Amino acid sequence: MAHRLVETQPQEALMELTTTVNDEARVLDVDGTESAVDVVRDGLGLTGTKLVCGSGVCGACTMLVDGEPVLGCLTPATRLRDASVTTVEGLADGDELHPVQRAFAHHDGLQCGYCTPGFVVDAVAFHDRWRAEHGADEPDGPSREAIAEALAGHLCRCGSYEGVYRAVAAACRGEHDGGVGEVERVDAPAKVTGAAVYTTDVVLPGMMHAAIRRSDVAAGTVGPIRFPDGVVGLDLLGDERRVRWAGQPVAAVAAESLAEARRIARELVVPVTTHDFVLDPEEAVRPGAPLVYPTRGERKAAPSAGEGGSMPAPWDGNRHGPSRSPFLGTLAKRRVGAARAAGRRGLVELEFHTAAQLHTAFEPHACVADWTDPQHLRVWLSTQGVDLMRHAIADRFDLDPAQVEVVAEHVGGGFGAKLSLTTEATSAISLSRLARRPVRLVLDRHEELTGTGNRPGSRSRVSMLVDDDTQAVKALVVDTDSHAGVAIGNSVAALSMLLYERTPRLARDVDVVTNAPPGAPFRGPGGPTSAWSLEQTVDEVAHRFGRDPIGLRAQWDGNQKRQALYRWASALPTWERRPATGSQSGRFRRGVGVAAGNWIYLVDPDCEVVVSVQGGHLVASTAAQDMGTGSRTVVARAVAGVFDVDPSHVEVRLGRSHGGTSHGPASGGSRTTVSLWSTAVEAATSLRDRVGTDLDRAPDGASATAKRGGDRGLRAVPMTMNGIQIGRGFSAALHVTEVEVDTRTGKTRVLGVHGGIAVGRIHAPVLARSQCEGSIIQGIGLALYENQVLDPHTGLTLTANLEDYRIPQLGDTPEIDIHFHEEGWDRVPGGGVGLGEVATVSPAASVGNAIFNATGWRPLTLPVRPDRLLEGLRTEVTR
Amino acid sequence: MSLTILTAYDERPDGTGDLVYRAGGTDLQERLRTTGATPHVLDLTGVPGFAAVERSDAGTTLGAGVTVATVARDLAADYPALALTAAGLATPQVRATATIGGNLLQRTRCWYFRHPHMSCFKSGGDGCPARDGRHLYGVAFDTAPCVHPHPSSLAMALLTYAATVDTTHRDGLGVGDVLGDGSDPSRDHLLADDEVLTRVTLPPPAAGERAAYFRSISRFEAEWPLVEAVVRVVRDDAGTVTTCGVAIGGVAPVPLRLGAVEKLLTGSTLDDDTIAAGAHLATEGASPLPETGYKVQLVEATVLEVLERVRS
Repeated sequence: MAHRLVETQPQEALMELTTTVNDEARVLDVDGTESAVDVVRDGLGLTGTKLVCGSGVCGACTMLVDGEPVLGCLTPATRLRDASVTTVEGLADGDELHPVQRAFAHHDGLQCGYCTPGFVVDAVAFHDRWRAEHGADEPDGPSREAIAEALAGHLCRCGSYEGVYRAVAAACRGEHDGGVGEVERVDAPAKVTGAAVYTTDVVLPGMMHAAIRRSDVAAGTVGPIRFPDGVVGLDLLGDERRVRWAGQPVAAVAAESLAEARRIARELVVPVTTHDFVLDPEEAVRPGAPLVYPTRGERKAAPSAGEGGSMPAPWDGNRHGPSRSPFLGTLAKRRVGAARAAGRRGLVELEFHTAAQLHTAFEPHACVADWTDPQHLRVWLSTQGVDLMRHAIADRFDLDPAQVEVVAEHVGGGFGAKLSLTTEATSAISLSRLARRPVRLVLDRHEELTGTGNRPGSRSRVSMLVDDDTQAVKALVVDTDSHAGVAIGNSVAALSMLLYERTPRLARDVDVVTNAPPGAPFRGPGGPTSAWSLEQTVDEVAHRFGRDPIGLRAQWDGNQKRQALYRWASALPTWERRPATGSQSGRFRRGVGVAAGNWIYLVDPDCEVVVSVQGGHLVASTAAQDMGTGSRTVVARAVAGVFDVDPSHVEVRLGRSHGGTSHGPASGGSRTTVSLWSTAVEAATSLRDRVGTDLDRAPDGASATAKRGGDRGLRAVPMTMNGIQIGRGFSAALHVTEVEVDTRTGKTRVLGVHGGIAVGRIHAPVLARSQCEGSIIQGIGLALYENQVLDPHTGLTLTANLEDYRIPQLGDTPEIDIHFHEEGWDRVPGGGVGLGEVATVSPAASVGNAIFNATGWRPLTLPVRPDRLLEGLRTEVTR
Repeated sequence: MSLTILTAYDERPDGTGDLVYRAGGTDLQERLRTTGATPHVLDLTGVPGFAAVERSDAGTTLGAGVTVATVARDLAADYPALALTAAGLATPQVRATATIGGNLLQRTRCWYFRHPHMSCFKSGGDGCPARDGRHLYGVAFDTAPCVHPHPSSLAMALLTYAATVDTTHRDGLGVGDVLGDGSDPSRDHLLADDEVLTRVTLPPPAAGERAAYFRSISRFEAEWPLVEAVVRVVRDDAGTVTTCGVAIGGVAPVPLRLGAVEKLLTGSTLDDDTIAAGAHLATEGASPLPETGYKVQLVEATVLEVLERVRS
């Protein structure tokens, strides 16, 4: 065919286009392949719009083009030509927020805030359309289904979906036309307007962009890496030269643009001698299996998937362990053995499998390092511990901690994966030192889903022996093999020992190492995994003896706080009307399940807060950070309460290691709120006692500092490690969950969840509820959808995008009811402890028990995908 | 310049290297970001008639750039099987941008193909790593070297209408002619490199047509189908099926029109026994992979679902 020829310009040339962005005429230079999100964020500096998945799945980059919501990552930049673009920054009318923005702030339809701009922009379009079509005719507002369908293209990893439903419906009902109403989350206004600055938004003058080259082999020895002339490059392997997992960082390079850095990284010649490797944990323990750590020296360098290091344990090939947690362990083993031999009815033995769950915080691991002044290193880092990282960086780079400043104004989620000093930070820092320029390194979603950690998979064997007549527990033996790839230090079985009766029991935890990506701490490390097996075993005992699963737990459980939750749960209509297990025969079967959760109480006794008066205003400072869990709000409320002012009148400065205190708690181990609250109250009280409550008369600059200190005489272990002290007592949770199983298609829908949480006094009730709701959403993901998949022949991660790695959506969200039992922690300053972990332990197990109640088939393997459910039901029928 | 906004389908710039056509961009932009490739983009959205819907006695002609959302909305009355399928795929934002032409010609969603460090038939390599690797979302009718199903839901629905496709080179192709049978595993469609899909033509609407679409997925929405099925029927006053189209997707190298099932249903009143037999017949010839056995059961379930829905 004949082609008409057109005049073309040289390849390098960009297309210049005019557009209107937030009512302002702009001129953009774009190339043919760029997407709208790139030019809006990088070209125009409108960083409210976020890039998360890069593949049109999550909606974080949504913007309005001529009034219609479009995906910034999939919309070619050229489509902005002569268009009118509205980003999240342009939704408000001056200081007047759009009703949808007000509603999100009021109903807390957000946590870390990273997905929020996308949700808000699309919800504005839906709101405007819905009200034009329905107006006052439907005073109840849109249904959950309508909202879920309209916002189906949005994901939130924190699980703020309940708040999103509440916010969108309220805005459509016109409830926020007049004003915002009360807003508990003090940084919500910044997050719904796109003003909140995350590490990925930081741009410094003269900044270079860095990229990481990763291993595409699962095991090998890498030769010397030669960087092309003029390239600022960094070999990340050191003297050892070994790579042990596909995706492991090998080298980092910096260049003038991200595209250039990625190209250089991609084209870098990395000579590698490949070795045999092993990915399947069962193969890894067979004789002759390739060793992940052949030498003692290498084993010492094995990363830990647990929080706070790993317990010493023996190695046997690829097995590390067992770590034993016994109480009359030999007796427990003997009793189980005898019961097995005798075929005792009271012995329940089950084997469970869980899959690795990826954190996938929506703000990727990101760092901007500025070491242009050799005496002062400034690091913007998406981290769960600005102060923790200050010291880690100082250690690593041989600096005085006073020379290192770490900044994380806002953190777009972490879930445990941002608690240690990892490659994005060390590489950006080293490259900045080499280049004598600021360097930025932001992982893409593929890297984030491959190499930044996971909740390890596992195999657990549980043997529980109860008395045939009384069902008193006679013995409990739990053996768990954890599959954290190259990482060790898992504690899963041990957590099973902490709930029921002081009978003979034995837990053995083994790490089976493979050439898979390393696990990392993930909300309640080991907890959901442990509950998946223990709580289903308990459920099986109840079923076998015809006992009420709540009543049976109540019989065994010495935790008075959980006893209160049992009483609350027993009276729930959902529980009272639950069907008999296996009693249903139709296509759709409903079931109700219960599971209990337990967590240790941690506190940071070195936590400091400074409260001062500046220009007649209260300012509270601490070297903590807020990753959406609400530390900023907690401090504001604590100080405001003392001065009897509205929390919005307290300016909280955190997210900086040099924020005015010498130490702040990390956001991990549920220790942030319990450390900050009473410290802020104490500092504020001491200031108030000195200057009174009339701040206009207070001397400017007056300040008071308080340090948390331990719970005197009440700590369980008399030492503090890495800002962690183990306090006395356990927090408690109970989840009652109703599901509907479609036996035709194998799909399980969670209809409703009641979450009972016993952590004492709640300091920020709206935010606490949001966090508990989020833990349920994440538990549903673990139970039904989430599953890291590796290629068996290369070890490469196949679930490296948010299409194939499936996290819960808005429409998967059940109706959630959160009940706080606020008593029982009076001895702790402030009267309450943290909830981030305990709330996350039992949701998945409750889903499992609900599926059993609905179908009579017990799911032993996570996640309970349609293929597994169909197979399970088939087997159940033929059995 | 790395971009040409075309004003005619057969326009080509001179002196350039890699060329790639772009319609909505919902597939292309993601691949460009992942691979870092910077081909010369030929943007089709400026071509006259690209997004036009034209109705005549001979049928309905859709420009290649008609969006999936437009198909879902504007064809709901006349072509319900196609419209329901369009409404059931992806997310509202993707539907608003993605085009019918792009949907037919999009590249496979296989996680090996989309992986930047993997090589396969479709990314220039010479094997299918999914076949003896992981293929949970692979085919249950293993009839071709590449084991991932074709992603086009609209192609499945268009098969039931015997719709035709025009390109810059050829007119009146069947959807099957465009997609082939998967026997060349390097290709997602059989158009030549410089051949552009320009129009899709549907026959005149069938009066009284009823349709149902169902996608078996694990979550609420916005997920590639494990199995999907569509059915369209016309029934006489007695309830007897006079015309019928049934097709399934997500299970084979290309979407499958189920002629034998259609034959079974035609002339029936869609009674319980017949639709159960039809659903079962849909699995005939299935040859699942080690990890896709569940899809055979899901084919039966999904076809049964649409048959129950279409008669109610």
